[in-house]
Amino acid sequence: MPSTSGPRRPGLLRYAVLLAGALVFLFPFYYMLIGSLQSEPDTSVAGAFPTSSPTLDNYADINSRVALLRSLVNSGIFTGGVILGTVVFGVLAGYALARLHFRGRGTLFALVLLVQVIPFQLLLIPLYVLIVRGYGLADSYLGMILPFAINTVAVFIFRQFFLQLPDDLFSAARMDGAGELRILWSVALPLVRPALLTAVLLTFIGPWNEFLWPFLVTKQADMQPLAVSLANYISNVASRAANPYGAILAGACVLAAPAVALFVAFQRHFVSTDIGSGVKG
Amino acid sequence: MSTAHAGAAATTGPGARTGGTSPTVGGPLRASRSRVAAALGRHPVGMVLAAPYAVYVAVVFAYPFGFAVWMSFHDYFFAAPGAVVERPFVGLANYRAMLADEGVRRAFGNILVFLVINVPLTVALALLLAAALNGVVHARAFLRVAFYVPYVTASVAVVGVWLFLFSSNGMVNTMLGPLAPEPSWLVNEALAMPVIALFVVWKQLGFFILLYLAALQNVPKELYESAAVDGASRWHQFWSVTVPAVRPATALVVILATITGANLFTEPYLLTGGGGPSGASASPVLVMYQRGIQQGQPDVAAAIGVLLVIGVLLISAVNRRLIERD
Amino acid sequence: MRRTFPAVLLTVTLALTAGCGDSGGDADKANAATGPITVWLSNNKEELAWGKAMVEAWNAQHADQKITAQEIPAGETSEEVIGAAITAGNAPCLIFNTAPAAVPQFQKQGGLVALDSFDGAAQYIADRTGDTASQYKSPDGKFYQLPWKSNPVMIFYNKQIFAKAGLDAEKPALSTYDELLAAARKIKSSRAAAAAIYPAPTSEFFQSWFDFYPLFAAATDGKQLVQDGKAQFNSPEGRQVAELWKTLYDEGLAPKEQYNGDAFGDGRSAMAIVGPWAIAVYGSKVKWGAVPVPTPTGRPAGQVKTFSDAKNVAMYSACQNRATAWAVLKFATSKEQDGELLNKTGQMPLRKDLAAAYPDYFSKNPAYQQFADQAGRTVEVPNVPSSVAIWQAFRDAYSESVIFGKKPVPDAFAAAAAKVDQLAAES
Repeated sequence: MPSTSGPRRPGLLRYAVLLAGALVFLFPFYYMLIGSLQSEPDTSVAGAFPTSSPTLDNYADINSRVALLRSLVNSGIFTGGVILGTVVFGVLAGYALARLHFRGRGTLFALVLLVQVIPFQLLLIPLYVLIVRGYGLADSYLGMILPFAINTVAVFIFRQFFLQLPDDLFSAARMDGAGELRILWSVALPLVRPALLTAVLLTFIGPWNEFLWPFLVTKQADMQPLAVSLANYISNVASRAANPYGAILAGACVLAAPAVALFVAFQRHFVSTDIGSGVKG
Repeated sequence: MSTAHAGAAATTGPGARTGGTSPTVGGPLRASRSRVAAALGRHPVGMVLAAPYAVYVAVVFAYPFGFAVWMSFHDYFFAAPGAVVERPFVGLANYRAMLADEGVRRAFGNILVFLVINVPLTVALALLLAAALNGVVHARAFLRVAFYVPYVTASVAVVGVWLFLFSSNGMVNTMLGPLAPEPSWLVNEALAMPVIALFVVWKQLGFFILLYLAALQNVPKELYESAAVDGASRWHQFWSVTVPAVRPATALVVILATITGANLFTEPYLLTGGGGPSGASASPVLVMYQRGIQQGQPDVAAAIGVLLVIGVLLISAVNRRLIERD
Repeated sequence: MRRTFPAVLLTVTLALTAGCGDSGGDADKANAATGPITVWLSNNKEELAWGKAMVEAWNAQHADQKITAQEIPAGETSEEVIGAAITAGNAPCLIFNTAPAAVPQFQKQGGLVALDSFDGAAQYIADRTGDTASQYKSPDGKFYQLPWKSNPVMIFYNKQIFAKAGLDAEKPALSTYDELLAAARKIKSSRAAAAAIYPAPTSEFFQSWFDFYPLFAAATDGKQLVQDGKAQFNSPEGRQVAELWKTLYDEGLAPKEQYNGDAFGDGRSAMAIVGPWAIAVYGSKVKWGAVPVPTPTGRPAGQVKTFSDAKNVAMYSACQNRATAWAVLKFATSKEQDGELLNKTGQMPLRKDLAAAYPDYFSKNPAYQQFADQAGRTVEVPNVPSSVAIWQAFRDAYSESVIFGKKPVPDAFAAAAAKVDQLAAES
């Protein structure tokens, strides 16, 4: 139930403001879409409202130069691996940090915070040397996935979520003599679905759009995820296309489409418990 | 975040105590169990559960970060395996050189400007929009998606559009007509960083709106109703009910926005190609990248990085104190 | 326990990585070894086509020494990829896109093989490239790169825009600074194009190669940015070049904002300052002509020097089968393969007497003749340590004084020269 205040009309002003905001927010995206469907570039202001009919040439051009399907598969494997690692190990860690008392818990939580703070560029070369030279994982999916394997924000979200579950659930189970693992399995995990959805959505975007790391780790063109293939395309080939700018925008739309689709599909689950309850404190 | 932690202690403490071990367990078993508990905590299985994550953090972050800190105290550059290179310890020389460098100082100044604009704007807009979105019933999906879409699209894709908007004969200047700033936005020393701040606000807002939306779901209706009964206007209700009720969410938003802002790299890199007019839109991470990776001076870059991390931790601590005044 | 667990892990990880370092190998043994090798090519479409054909030709005749070719992006990011690969020890044997400005850094890292260690290498290079080859030697007198191809920078102009502005489209007067300014002003006043000339005004370290440096090379008749460990740009000629560009920026003849794309190719700029690789990009979109870069008082076209924008081939120390790599290098720069490169890409192999070596090609493509001619008079970036930092320091001063006019040129250049001298002195 929306928390409006009593029987006043829901506020035409509110809708107007929101609509205006939404249009402002969507405008660049709209421009991207329109531009990608043009056969001739038009960078003037009038170009935002084109009169010529749309064409799919730009998309065809990308498809001929970049192996779209292969890149999408690679992106899928990369992102899927990260989501898997996050969901499996992140839930365990989040639960342990929230509900269990063990030696090193404070340190670990401090580390969770610290990890958020460190910029990735600082770690880049040592990490690259570690993964490529130390573990020999160049040009492999594991090498791509490893630095992102468990998303720290997701761990944080899981922890918040488990924290706000009612204590009675756990104390009742403990009084029945259940071991901790059993409690985790039969009490906590069945309830975690809302937090899972949130975590999946937040975790998805990072590796999906990630360019720099896969770019360093993979040299074989058939291992590269979509963000890298598109960046290659933009930096070099796009200038030769009939409509270079349009081709770039088409590539951007291709990259954004699955992420937007995923969000549209999942967004209605965002209303309920999950993150918010965790931040209630 | 500390309130969450304190909350954890408050809620699990009594709970754990009412659970606990049965008082009928015999003496010696109890003694050994409490010895284990003293050494490893009450639920040592927690270590097992947390171990994969701990290993991941140690390998992926701790080792490279430790290495970076070590680098910052040495005269270091990356070399091929098998190359014989001297790596003398130089104490604070890298830090001194970095602090003396005008470009680096300007980058840190720029990021402060960025944070001062970005963080309050993000918090205010996210909360206002979330509150507004909370009440709507029609077109909820469309509106939500609209605000979230920029967050989901890669910066690389979106930058071209912003260049179109903010170039000297772009849409914004055309609409402003004679009011358009001269020199134009991204090449204006004073305006370049604010434009980037605005870009990042727009891009990240969807994520923070979600955080607030979720927090708003848990504000009890009764609070609003009682305020309405007391005759408070909607705006007054917002200030006296909504804002205090979502304070923990605000704390989270502030910290996350500060961290992402301080680590800004992609936007200056793409929007102003290498730091803008006289480095007016360079960020510390951009300078770190230039010095470390382009110019082959990872020791100086590591010094910049370490100082950045310390700075962010300090700012976060200050923020926390300001916001969680309880 | 709390402290020891992470500490143990750290030690183990460090030990793992330390132990995985190479033993270095015996250099002589590696020099004589043959076998399969890996090479990297730039992902420029035409160069890739040439590269693949070259690899196929070699592989057909050397089944036991096959080449595996991979492509890496040609942009600024390629240096980062190569640097990271050197550090990790997984660089390929040859990279057909090594920028001369990056060679000092790679050499310092111990990532390059001195080609002189192969019998007859120095002679081979001298025979193929002639006198220009000396610009590619490292301070220790050895060749850590093989001069491969250049893209001598000239002024391209759009014939249609020039005609529209009332300028001579076939033989435009662009050989002195005054003539260039006059033409630029005419273009602006006649509104024939949005910009007279549009070099990238951004601050990446390499951008100076496409505005300041070609004119500097022409004005000083062949000086590099740094020579004998001293900055050369803080001279009357250097400041004069800077003042010309400053005038272009001040009068709005060259825009100060970056353009998202190719301004000349999109018809927004009347002139461009670039090499022949761009011809394939412009294609039929633009009717172009090209002239040498201007000099202060004008000089016969046959004597004007310019920036080479060369890309070379280097052999990397991670290479195991160096004898094969050297043989492939010679094969790829043979007269036949250089001819293929010329044919497929229009870029100029760094071969002396280029026009005479391939008369058929140049009679079929007369437009390229002037580039071949120009290729004999090019200036390279200085091969000094900290070369990237030096270019960045220069670019920062140039951007501040010339493009954005925040500081007078003499002051900015003097400060930059002091900094550059210091950088060049550290090694």
